[in-house]
Amino acid sequence: MGRLLTAALVGILSSVIAIGCTKKGGKLDYGLNPSETLRINIQQEPPSLDWSKSVDTTSSLVESNIMNGLVEFNLSDPELSLDPALATSWSSTRDAKTWTFNLRQDVKWTDGVAFTGQHVIDGWERLLNPSTASQYAYFLFGVKNAQKYSQGKIKDFNEVGVRLDGEGRLIVELEQGKSYFPYLLDHHSTFPIRKDVIEKHGDRWTDPANIVTLGAYKLKIWEHDKALVMERNDQYYGSKAKIPYIYAYMINEMSTAINLFDAGKLDLQYELPSREIRNLRTRTEYRQKGNLGLYYYGFNIKKPPFDNLKVRKAFVKAIDRKQITDMLAGGYTPLSGWIPSGMFGYEPERGIQFDLEGARKLLDEAGFKDRSKFPRVKLAFNTLEDHQRIAENVQAQLKKNLGVTVEVVNEEWKVYLAHLHSDAPSMYRMGWIADYPDPDNFINLMASYSENNHTGWKSAAYDDLIAKGVSETNKEKRRAIYSEAQRLLTEVDVPVLPIYSYVTQALVHPRVKSFELNALKKYVFRGVELQ
Amino acid sequence: VTINWRGLLGLPILLAWLLAVASSFFGIGLPSAVWWVLVGWSAISALYFTLSRGVLSFVLKRSVEALITIWIIATATFFLLKILPGGPFDSEKALLPEIKAAIEHKYKLDAPLWQQYVSYIGGLAKGDLGQSYKYLDRGISEIIAESLPTSVQLGAFALLLSYLIGIPVGVLAARHHNRWLDSALMIGAISGVSLPSFLIAPILILWFCFSLNWFEPALWQGPEFYILPTVVLGTRAAAVIARLVRASVLEVIRADYIRTARAKGVSERVLLFKHVLKNSLIPVLTFSGPLIAGLITGSFVVEQIFAIPGIGKHMVLSVSNRDYPLIMGTTLVFSALLVLCNLLVDLLYAYVDPRIKLS
Repeated sequence: MGRLLTAALVGILSSVIAIGCTKKGGKLDYGLNPSETLRINIQQEPPSLDWSKSVDTTSSLVESNIMNGLVEFNLSDPELSLDPALATSWSSTRDAKTWTFNLRQDVKWTDGVAFTGQHVIDGWERLLNPSTASQYAYFLFGVKNAQKYSQGKIKDFNEVGVRLDGEGRLIVELEQGKSYFPYLLDHHSTFPIRKDVIEKHGDRWTDPANIVTLGAYKLKIWEHDKALVMERNDQYYGSKAKIPYIYAYMINEMSTAINLFDAGKLDLQYELPSREIRNLRTRTEYRQKGNLGLYYYGFNIKKPPFDNLKVRKAFVKAIDRKQITDMLAGGYTPLSGWIPSGMFGYEPERGIQFDLEGARKLLDEAGFKDRSKFPRVKLAFNTLEDHQRIAENVQAQLKKNLGVTVEVVNEEWKVYLAHLHSDAPSMYRMGWIADYPDPDNFINLMASYSENNHTGWKSAAYDDLIAKGVSETNKEKRRAIYSEAQRLLTEVDVPVLPIYSYVTQALVHPRVKSFELNALKKYVFRGVELQ
Repeated sequence: VTINWRGLLGLPILLAWLLAVASSFFGIGLPSAVWWVLVGWSAISALYFTLSRGVLSFVLKRSVEALITIWIIATATFFLLKILPGGPFDSEKALLPEIKAAIEHKYKLDAPLWQQYVSYIGGLAKGDLGQSYKYLDRGISEIIAESLPTSVQLGAFALLLSYLIGIPVGVLAARHHNRWLDSALMIGAISGVSLPSFLIAPILILWFCFSLNWFEPALWQGPEFYILPTVVLGTRAAAVIARLVRASVLEVIRADYIRTARAKGVSERVLLFKHVLKNSLIPVLTFSGPLIAGLITGSFVVEQIFAIPGIGKHMVLSVSNRDYPLIMGTTLVFSALLVLCNLLVDLLYAYVDPRIKLS
């Protein structure tokens, strides 16, 4: 008996080892062939593929491959111009208040139904309907009566400024002129929907068996928390996708994903651990590209000592932003103005630059010649390693350059957000990533009425400039307006300390061709090839 | 031929479970019917045991207690969550007040707290755990049903491994009490307890996946994927078990009945396996209740490092997302498992050791 047991144990152990050693390299789930599958990592389970409701970048990545809007950004154009998509052309009245979109007639949804303008109207109705409770409803608040419909003050959607004319063209009427209005239409929240499909399947309409789309790819498999597969849509109206399948892992841990990349099981990893950037950037697979995002500190100007303009200016002058971007080493661009690099309106020289003597002088003038009298202020950020590194760097610079001590405090993300809204700390960290590539999206953040402005700063002149910038159609005049707004914000009243504009970093396998990172951090795989 | 029906209710179940877990390890997908038969078989034996030993009133009492415990946990968690600053829909991009109001209305977060509580507990009583706030359109039961099996699988492998390593190591150490082998094994066990998995895992991955090229560095698709996470998760449990077994064996070996047996000329091997080991495993049984619940409800760190689609991730991330229904769901699953495992362990006590009285 004892021998039998031993033999059995040895047998089991050796088979374990034998199986362990026969590693089946390269095999992919669902019978997919790696040679015709682009393997990407979308970091997490997409919270929702319902494009009227989803709010995160993971869902948006999938949606922008399986769907299309009326227009589409030309991602290889540094100016991010618009290309036709479901609309073949568009035009506006001189005041940019009424827009006309000519729609394509040859588009079919994946179930064979022809696309019409009504699908766009249905999508907008659903986005704005309060019962949908979409976080992106504000995207269309520029449309006449849209906000009122969303607030429930208007019940009849016919009163909202969107309709089809006799020739099937989409006519949009805005509350006021908005020169960048078409830019909003490559956003998933404004995509057309199939009301009949949603009504038929309810909450389950985004399951692969039910979902109906019209993009270059279609949703084939969605195994929650594990993987998602997109398949080429052969009925696509535009140039067909080159790669038959996209397999998306949902791996949250970046080092795990890099292990898979190194093991040859992943072709594209587009989030990299910042602590390893110094090593990763020396690799041939490494890519980086500036994107439209902003990292900044805000001052609560209601709280002393930051109610004193000279103190705010002294703090901004005392910070050498390049020290921070050098420490991060990920190719970030120091930013002293408010509009990030790569966007219309960006001015490298705008804002207050590093000036040691000037900083010390200003702080003296502010009444803090004796630095020991300077109150202990808090520099707050949400708990994350990079934020900690940056805060500590700023803390050290302020100590060294101004001789003042700030206390760095971190809080868990949601606790931090709650504090920002109720009682913003003296100095706080925040960031912004473009919803649409227009300076208005950034300048708007610090409007007196903005929910994102936690500084307590309110400027009527600044609000006026925002309103002017939105309706101005002349590009050069707009540039001047945003230049003035940035001057007010970052040179005159200084409620903020901009630090750098964001960068996307990625590892791309050499077999992946015609793939470029872009300023909008959009991943559209239609044109990508595999070698 | 007479079949010993009673005999089918004890050890064979354990063996059947072992076989099932082992086959799942080797990627042999057993039909779900087999698993249900196993569960049913175990339930019948528990019931048979309960009735034959006359401990029915004990089990009923404990079940009622369990329900009350779970209700208290649900209530406490519910209100603690509401005290926690920050809400599920707070994000870097602040919402306009009217949009926030629409969302809160949709999820009934604008109702008075007591109404929210009553409606949650009411739903719970009907087995409805609600909808996730983060994963829009997905039910909590659905999320748990999709992620728990993977965690249970990983937990079962790790549990098996911890017994397979922990018990022999503990016995061996006790047999060589105060000699170098004992010291070596116990140093190993202490390291096993103290080394965190986020340290062991990358080292093992580097070695076995990239130097030796034996196993896969991540994912959950077959035996070559299972081994490393199982080892990482099982090591700590194995180490604890080894220390428990060693201490327990040392205690039993000094007992009078062992001396008697030895004096009567029982061979050392029979003595060890039949008399000492059996009696030394009771502390292991005690430890197994919380251990099983802990292992099968998932380890966030191990699941994270190896990208395993289990429930551990939801337990942690639901809190940072303030996904209230999902936090409640995962907490309740964990509590229910813990209560159940403890009840089973109590029953097993009475089964293996008739001296223990259940009351």
